[in-house]
Amino acid sequence: MDKQGRSLSETVWTRLDRKAGAITELTVRQLRHRISTWVVLGVGMLMIMMLSAFYVDAVRDGFEPIDNDGDSEDWDGDGYPLGQERKFGTSDWDPEQYPGSGSYVQDGSIEWGDDIRTHTGNHTWEYVTGIFTPIWIDESYQGDRWSMILDFDSVNFCEEENDASEFMNSWSVGWGGGCEFENGDYAFQEVRFRGEGTLRVPRGHYAGWGHMTDVFDVEPEPASNYINEDDLDWNGNALQSQGFDDDGDCLRDDWNLGPESDFWFDKDDNNNGRDCDVIYVLGVDGVTVVNIIADENVDEDPDDEKLLGESNHRGFIVAVGKIAFVMILSIFLPLFLALGLVRDETENGTLHYLLSKPIHRGEFITYRILGYLLISGTFVFLMSLIMASVTSLLGPGDSIIRFGDIVVWVGIAFATILALTAYGALFNTLGLISSRYGVYIALVIGIYEFVMAVMTLSGATLVPVLSISHWTLQLVDSIVLIVWDDTLFMDMMSNAFGYDTILGFFWSPPAHTLGTENPYVSAIISVIVLIFITVSMIFFAQSLFKRREIM
Amino acid sequence: MTTESNTPAVVIDHCSKWYGNVIGINDISLAIDGGVTGILGPNGAGKSTLFKLLMGRLKPSSGSVRLFGVDPWESTSPYRRIGYVSETEKMYDWMTGHDFVSTLARLHGMTREEANSRAEHVMDFVGLADVQHKEIGKYSKGMRQRVKIAHALVHDPDLIVLDEPLHGCDPIARTSIMSVIRDLGEQGKTVLVSSHILDEIERITEQIVILHNGRLLALGNLHAIRDLLDKHPHRILIRTDHPRDLASAFVGSKPVYGVRFSEDDALEILTNDLSEAHSILPEIIVKSGIKVHSIENPDDNLDSLLKYLVGGDS
Repeated sequence: MDKQGRSLSETVWTRLDRKAGAITELTVRQLRHRISTWVVLGVGMLMIMMLSAFYVDAVRDGFEPIDNDGDSEDWDGDGYPLGQERKFGTSDWDPEQYPGSGSYVQDGSIEWGDDIRTHTGNHTWEYVTGIFTPIWIDESYQGDRWSMILDFDSVNFCEEENDASEFMNSWSVGWGGGCEFENGDYAFQEVRFRGEGTLRVPRGHYAGWGHMTDVFDVEPEPASNYINEDDLDWNGNALQSQGFDDDGDCLRDDWNLGPESDFWFDKDDNNNGRDCDVIYVLGVDGVTVVNIIADENVDEDPDDEKLLGESNHRGFIVAVGKIAFVMILSIFLPLFLALGLVRDETENGTLHYLLSKPIHRGEFITYRILGYLLISGTFVFLMSLIMASVTSLLGPGDSIIRFGDIVVWVGIAFATILALTAYGALFNTLGLISSRYGVYIALVIGIYEFVMAVMTLSGATLVPVLSISHWTLQLVDSIVLIVWDDTLFMDMMSNAFGYDTILGFFWSPPAHTLGTENPYVSAIISVIVLIFITVSMIFFAQSLFKRREIM
Repeated sequence: MTTESNTPAVVIDHCSKWYGNVIGINDISLAIDGGVTGILGPNGAGKSTLFKLLMGRLKPSSGSVRLFGVDPWESTSPYRRIGYVSETEKMYDWMTGHDFVSTLARLHGMTREEANSRAEHVMDFVGLADVQHKEIGKYSKGMRQRVKIAHALVHDPDLIVLDEPLHGCDPIARTSIMSVIRDLGEQGKTVLVSSHILDEIERITEQIVILHNGRLLALGNLHAIRDLLDKHPHRILIRTDHPRDLASAFVGSKPVYGVRFSEDDALEILTNDLSEAHSILPEIIVKSGIKVHSIENPDDNLDSLLKYLVGGDS
């Protein structure tokens, strides 16, 4: 007992507290007096401000309906959207083909090895290589080189004047081209044209002929007919058949497709014996959906405001949390603030003031890291609160404040602070190992960690386990799933229906759950790994520093 | 705080420290307890190495160091009773003097309030009460040294180690620091002060340890050493326009056994008894009527002392 009636252990702890307080406070004040600290924090803040401005801007524009399946596009500019062209079996890459434009039907051909190599008639000819003696020829039938329709503007006189037979032995017109003889005959190579006459095809070459079906009028549909046209149909009962092909692009019942122009299409992709439906697979608990398997083109373009607005909002939070907080702030802040925590004291010659006091060198390292964490951690926490206030107020939904957002942002701050601690301990150790080269090693490790984070984002779960960033990112994924338990469902929908959401890109289900698929398990594992890395780095630094002679 | 046991404050036992092939200190043994002890030696003699060993910054290559009976390399507990003023001039310039002292005081486990009041007390003791709330960056060299001393005294240590505390200070600051050190000695503290200037140490203490090339050369009372020195060949350099005339006036004087003309305007008197020579000097010069510009004792410095102690010609 001391004079104030405190027990021995209490007295020791109180003194430790005071020393910890003094060194932590000194570290904070030192960092505060360095310009580089303010520059780094300023840049970090600017980044966060810009991201929140970006979000505010996106919200102001509203969640514009997104054409998830891309069938509202009119790629060939013929006025008909892809979805409408598909119904008529016409190409959206050829302006000559559009609904009602008529299609080519082949009637006959001269094959490469046929004995009869002459044909006379009035046709649309295609892939023609040969000499054509015309009765009439449609010089106005135009097209580009890629549609293989002969462009008569580029047809000149042939070099081998009248001797067409000789010409046929040494073919030299060029692919997709033709030339005219003085007697009015034409030499063609791989072209399409219209006309009546006699065609001679050299052996080893090919020509086909046919007719165009009738042209009829089809009114172009507006692109908006093909946006949000196939909403999600899910009533929550996984035992029933789910999903409905609202826009009919899976069922194709009333589609005006010719027998040959329709490509093979599997209406029962998911092999459950029902055309154009969706299977929702339940987990062992019989409640949680663990997988969604959809037939192609079913529920693929839902109402974005209703469904993807939420998904993209979460995606934005996860993207900013992972990239800005975990991959940038948590790597760069320690690189600038933690590397010199002990090294700078040695280099400045001020270390002995601190080490001539009754304080263990090991303790000293811990308190220095604590001081660094106070600055960087407070900063990260404040930044997360800024983001939380923006997204929780402006995010989709009927409530005024989205409390879930705040919890997720605090969780992201927590994960980032754990990473800051681990990187801080690591970089401080590097500064101790080599005061001259530590910064270069730290830079290399920083890049390595960034690459591992990118690998983690792209779904790798094996190699990146040897990194701090991997576990931090998994912690963020876990926290998101703990707070918003339907995130997994949204993610599965993105995968099953091909929705192009930010969430689907940046969020992935936690990988390391010991087979439980429980986000709490992955969160706890991640926290343990990060703390383990931190503690082992601090121990390593302590043992290194304890035995070091200070000149 | 006072020494609670009979264990001497500092015990160094056959201690050596090598930096690779270079020797820092070589087989030094000494025990110091109470009073001010001057650690004298030219640059490179091993003073700083000795202090770094005391402060646990270096590990002895052989032998042992004990502060209050504890090895400072293995334990930080002796630091509770030690105040250390290093030779470095680097400080936290952005802090105020008071801040610097009180922050470091808290590393002794003091509360913020205790640390503040102790800091005020020691800043007053070193004579910096007026400027204690100014930034250290604005302090003069002497003030900085005194802040360093204040931080070393803030926890009322039993042993105070000062590495070249007077280095680079102006005469006023020197006097003030010397007086602080003497006060500490009078308070019964054990104080170790290093310097490479004999005169400085002489003004602070009589108890000295002389280091040379890493070895302990002498240990004891400065006056005794000085007396010893005085009884050995010594030079007095007299600058005058007529050195030869003055030389003749000295011939036959008892303590003078020879004269030398080292320069055109100087006369070197060789003596075996410096104090006796100095006592007859004024009378002879006055009698001779020769104008003298200056009288110097070129051998009255550490180099000469060392030369003498290591057995060289002085």
